[in-house]
Amino acid sequence: MVTAMDSSHSLASERSSIESTYELTKYLEYQLKEIKDVYLTYLGPPFNEKDFSPPAATRLELWHGLENQARLAQNQKAYSVLLAAVRELARSTLCPSLKTSLLHFCTGLDGLLGSISALMTTLGYTLPPSSANMRMRPTMNDFARKVEGFWILRELQSWLWRSAKDFNRLKKRLRAH
Amino acid sequence: MLSFICLLILLVPHALFTSTHVAVIYPQDQVLRIGSTLMATCTLSPELGLHANKLYWTMNGMRLSSSTYDMVSPDTLSVTLHHLNGSQQKSGDNLVCHGADGLVLGGSCLYVGMPPEKPVNLTCWSRNAKDLSCKWSPGGPGETHIRTKYTLKYKLRWYSREKECDTYSSGKQRYSCHIPRNLALFTPYEIWVEATNELGSATSDITTLDILDVVTTDPPANVQVGRVGDLEDQLTVRWASPPELRDILFQAKYQIRYRLEDSTEWKVVDDVGNQTSCRLAGLQPGTVYFVQVRCNPVGIYGSRKAGIWSNWSHPTAASTPTPSERLQSGSCESKPSEHNSTLRRELKQFFGWVRKHAYGCSGMSIKLYDQWRVWLQKSHRTRNQILHDDNS
Repeated sequence: MVTAMDSSHSLASERSSIESTYELTKYLEYQLKEIKDVYLTYLGPPFNEKDFSPPAATRLELWHGLENQARLAQNQKAYSVLLAAVRELARSTLCPSLKTSLLHFCTGLDGLLGSISALMTTLGYTLPPSSANMRMRPTMNDFARKVEGFWILRELQSWLWRSAKDFNRLKKRLRAH
Repeated sequence: MLSFICLLILLVPHALFTSTHVAVIYPQDQVLRIGSTLMATCTLSPELGLHANKLYWTMNGMRLSSSTYDMVSPDTLSVTLHHLNGSQQKSGDNLVCHGADGLVLGGSCLYVGMPPEKPVNLTCWSRNAKDLSCKWSPGGPGETHIRTKYTLKYKLRWYSREKECDTYSSGKQRYSCHIPRNLALFTPYEIWVEATNELGSATSDITTLDILDVVTTDPPANVQVGRVGDLEDQLTVRWASPPELRDILFQAKYQIRYRLEDSTEWKVVDDVGNQTSCRLAGLQPGTVYFVQVRCNPVGIYGSRKAGIWSNWSHPTAASTPTPSERLQSGSCESKPSEHNSTLRRELKQFFGWVRKHAYGCSGMSIKLYDQWRVWLQKSHRTRNQILHDDNS
């Protein structure tokens, strides 16, 4: 039986770990902006042009209305996939300083993943099963690889932006308990 | 493109997509020599419902002239590029096929460069006879446009087994490599650089050296510069030999250089030998000098062969004594200096008055000074008069 004191205590520590996770997300967002500019310049024009939009799948997002667990689970899954993708980007980058920046960024992403998993465990949510390594990478030509890189970074940007809002919302919801 | 779609499926399970097979560009990932010609085609997929005459090409964001296009069929447009320049970025030039309104339909990466030429200017040095670092330059400009791999190799002259250096620098010092250990002394090494890219390869000339011939050390430690008693034109410089010299039994010779504080011209003292102190003479009095020292390990066993000069030590500054006051006693400047001391005394009095009567300097102006002069006159006549405050 959890006493009132215990539950408010654990809620406080949950709020502070959500706060840290939120801060981490904002920091990664900032880091990504810098890396993205350098990476797109490395890819060369037209990738670094303002309105560049290569062919990609269009998608609908069912984002609003997702409750806490679903939100966190979504974040967890997304960042696992994105982390693997950015690692692959880093591996294939020829420019050594850019490679270093990307790998450093991966470390931050890994930290974010850890924070989200910890948060889910603390809140009593089940972690989604770790998907088998989707090594479904047929031989792509270099241009297609550049396009993929472009979208991965774009995707990462919008996820970090949304996650920050999510963690903010989560913080407020927990406070309301 | 397929794996990218799979990536998206994983991210948002309930989302909807449209398929994206838009156009196929041929050829892909071509590596070409500078100056060569390339013909590329853009073939539209039938679902698009586009005609090839609506298409256009860009290379690295720059639109290509339609005079280079050829409509091979209603769904295929080709472009011919002559006299290709070296690639603009190492990740490859971006040749892109666009539909109307600039829509990107597909692209191809192009790598344009030249086969490498013999790497040149291979220079090596060893720090304290413990390691070996080498640097070189690419043999030609063409190879720098595409990914060219340089491998530094070395072997003892009398053995056939080659070794490769594996610590290449990624920073500013791009074409260099560092061999940290396991180097033999007193025996010649053969060292060379092999350059390879997709268009060819080349090997530099072999450099033969003994590690002991290319040793350099840290700069001398503890450089101190001081005056020589009262002497106005001399300074004494003292330093310690770099600690590593103890390990490698070298003798050292030193060099000093010094300059005036605001000059860029250095004066070098060359014949310092292996002492650890030196006196600089013929200097200007009352002047600040910057001094640096460097050292060179000299060959052992009686050999006079020198190594490589170390970096200069951090600059140390010192000043020569100013000429003594006695020297000025014969000058004819007594009147102005008298005037100066009168003015100074007067100012002291003025400031004292300001502090007492004007409450600080916020209202400072020539008017205030005039007021004070007036007060001075009045106070000579009536000592007890007090002036009102006037903040102008």
